[in-house]
Amino acid sequence: MKRSLFLALLILVLISVTRFQVDWLAERPIAVKLGYTPAAEVQRLLAGEHRLALSEMSVIRVLFYFGSLVDKWRNQIMLPPEYFNMYKTVETAVKLDPYNMDAYYFAQSAFTWEVGRAREVNALLDYGMKYRTDDWYLPYFAGFNAAFFLQDYKQAAQYMERAAQLSGNPLFAKLASRYFYESGRTQLGIAYLQGMVEQERDPQQKRAYKLRLDALVVTRTIEDALSEWRQDHDKDPQNIAELYSAGLLAQIPEDPYGGEFFIDEEGKVRTTSKFALARPVENTQQQTLDEIPEAKE
Amino acid sequence: MLPIILMTMRCFLRDRILFALLGAAGLLLLLIPAMSSFSMRQVQELSITLSLSANSFLLLILATLLGSASVWGDIERRYTAGLLGLPLSRRSYLLGKFTGIAVFLLACCAILAVAGLAVIAIAKSQYPAASDPQWWVILLASAMIGLKYVLLAAFAMFFSTLSTSFFLPIFGTLGVYFAGTASQEVFEYLNSDIAENLSPLVKSCAEAFYYILPNFSAFDLKVQAVYGLPLDAMSLLGTLLYFLAYLAVLLTLSVWLFERRDL
Amino acid sequence: MNAIEIKGLSKTYRGKRGARVEALVDLNLDVKAGEVFGFLGPNGAGKSTTIKLLTGQLRLNSGCAMLFGVQVSDPDARLRLGYLPENPSLHGHMNAWEHLRFVGQIHGLDAQRIKRDSQQILELLELDKDAKRPVKGYSKGMTQRLALAVALLPDPDLLILDEPMSGLDPLGRALVKDIIRDAKGRGKTVFFSTHITSDIEAVCDRIGIVVRGRLCALENVAELLREGVEGYLVRYADKLGCQHEDLIVRDRLRERLDSLLASGATLDAIEPHRRDMEAYFLQTVKDAEACLS
Ligand SMILES: Nc1ncnc2c1ncn2[C@@H]1O[C@H](COP(=O)(O)OP(=O)(O)O)[C@@H](O)[C@H]1O
Ligand SMILES: [Mg+2]
Repeated sequence: MKRSLFLALLILVLISVTRFQVDWLAERPIAVKLGYTPAAEVQRLLAGEHRLALSEMSVIRVLFYFGSLVDKWRNQIMLPPEYFNMYKTVETAVKLDPYNMDAYYFAQSAFTWEVGRAREVNALLDYGMKYRTDDWYLPYFAGFNAAFFLQDYKQAAQYMERAAQLSGNPLFAKLASRYFYESGRTQLGIAYLQGMVEQERDPQQKRAYKLRLDALVVTRTIEDALSEWRQDHDKDPQNIAELYSAGLLAQIPEDPYGGEFFIDEEGKVRTTSKFALARPVENTQQQTLDEIPEAKE
Repeated sequence: MLPIILMTMRCFLRDRILFALLGAAGLLLLLIPAMSSFSMRQVQELSITLSLSANSFLLLILATLLGSASVWGDIERRYTAGLLGLPLSRRSYLLGKFTGIAVFLLACCAILAVAGLAVIAIAKSQYPAASDPQWWVILLASAMIGLKYVLLAAFAMFFSTLSTSFFLPIFGTLGVYFAGTASQEVFEYLNSDIAENLSPLVKSCAEAFYYILPNFSAFDLKVQAVYGLPLDAMSLLGTLLYFLAYLAVLLTLSVWLFERRDL
Repeated sequence: MNAIEIKGLSKTYRGKRGARVEALVDLNLDVKAGEVFGFLGPNGAGKSTTIKLLTGQLRLNSGCAMLFGVQVSDPDARLRLGYLPENPSLHGHMNAWEHLRFVGQIHGLDAQRIKRDSQQILELLELDKDAKRPVKGYSKGMTQRLALAVALLPDPDLLILDEPMSGLDPLGRALVKDIIRDAKGRGKTVFFSTHITSDIEAVCDRIGIVVRGRLCALENVAELLREGVEGYLVRYADKLGCQHEDLIVRDRLRERLDSLLASGATLDAIEPHRRDMEAYFLQTVKDAEACLS
């Protein structure tokens, strides 16, 4: 009797300690959660035959982490993401398993729009193309990045040619050539995002693509209005409201990312949100991101 | 030799720990379809990766435990006194024991492989992939896992014939496993430009180890199985011959040492 | 042909850090077929070492040993051997039937004979009721009995038993003695080690006493018993009819008997009075130890 009482007491203590532990773990700084990724070579040696599994686990870890951030952004909690660590982890993942499509896919969706690292992503995709030789997704992504973000149309055409060959679908080549000029950029983005929304399974990712698609569609409406304005005027309008007053827009368009649209000095339609949920924050983590060389947008 | 093979296997079948291990592996396999669905673009591939990895991991534990406990355990529990008082040569005893372990390992491997195929089929039916899994390649990869751990069990047994405690067999076997898995990687690194200014002594030492240690990466067909890459029949045959030759050397050495041992 | 031939056999154990134990020094011993040989010695004398050498579990350092003319390093030497190890230990997951079947198969017996003989031996050793239980749950005595059954199953020409009585109840001891006598009756050879002298008198033809690895006595038991007669216990009634008992030393028996008969007493019984085996054994060990040190 006494002994069972003692055991019950011990279990009670354990439960309360566990409670405390759970809270403590939940409040760890994000950096601790994602953690530091050891060098790919070390991981390869240690993981041995299980490196495919390890590679996939790393990607899923980053994916979860990123998902939790996106949730927080949606609730207006702005946390600076650890892009550098995320990128490193994904890079390590493809070194562990160069065939890991999840890694390429994640790199494409996370490091292009939000952080503008299209050049690095394309380097990663180039690496992947050496292994996934009959996968049209990789050249397609690379082609899109080259055209949309890097505005290197020659490169983009080569990638798209390859995607068209691999998929047996000439649409890619055409799609590319049709929009490979500056003014077609928004339309290119819309076409790409429409494709992504269609084939995405994960509801969270799908929402993210849709949001971006909506933003581009709105941008496109404003751009159309602006080119109509330019047919009648020599000078660009001061702001978007002028387009509305002129009856070229049905309403003042709203930025789904919560920013405000404006027309810059070069006459391009832009928004204060820069189409990013996460605003850049000046702090040390942001600095580490800069270790990845800046890509031109 | 047949009676000793049968006795070895019968005792494994009556060991509850082994069944607990197999049960745990079964549960792990059941989790795979759910875990695979975390993947964005390669649910099917992930399910193949995980089922092969689970298979390999369980066999690692089994091969290490069974191989290490084999001779050393029999001596420790003084079974050998009675066994070797029979008109049974030490060679037959050792080889019979090893055959029992090998057959048991291969049977576990086969069970897990078949269970793995079922799990992969489930994962695949959840989210159909662009191409069907290459069932035969997956089975072949599983078979290679089986062979690899048979070789590892031979190592464990080799240490077990030398040792008077569990320490050397268990940790020696795990050491051989890790070194044998990494050796190809290290070898390639040493032959690359990065390692140019390494001292030649270190290099030749590492090279010696590369040739002495079993090269387990040769048995690793996971990438081919997961991504449906083409297989090279010649290199498979080479691996098979390597397996047989290495196993023969190990067993001969074990028998030779065991025949000279006082019990 | 001798059942056991041992010539110049030595064994030195090498322990850790160069420690050496001379367990057996230059042992020479022949055991004839059909003989029951008792191998005596105090604890740690080298009895088990000798037996392990004979059954091929230890490597010989020097000398040679043969069973029925076959070197002990050859597994075939054990074809005609039934061996009971010291403190036997049997596979806990298997039951008695399975152990016996396994041993029978190793000896190459056919299934029917294994079944028949196993049944018989299990009954003899009173294990038949527990024969289907895994050996894990056996008591020490039961394990000893089963190990003995294993040794007996192939009906071997030579039985080597290392302390067969240890762990057995009085019934078991009597049973083992019966088994040894029965084997002798069927012309088998038995070599067994013990440190209990009373076992010896009952069954042995010859004994060897080993002390600190050296054989220091090799005796015929019948002769020993004869020689060991120190005097006689004479029971008689004097002419008044009173009963008397007298211990008479060996040399004076005749003289005393003459005088008794002359005095008109009637003899009831004359029994030889022996110095017992125990005393002989203790004396031998003491002498040997004194000699060695
Ligand atoms: N494996 C061993 N290693 C070292 N010494 C041993 C070993 N086995 C026995 N000995 C030593 O050899 C001597 C003889 O032992 P043993 O033959 O078992 O005696 P016993 O006559 O009681 O059966 C003892 O001194 C014992 O300590
Ligand atoms: Mg002993």
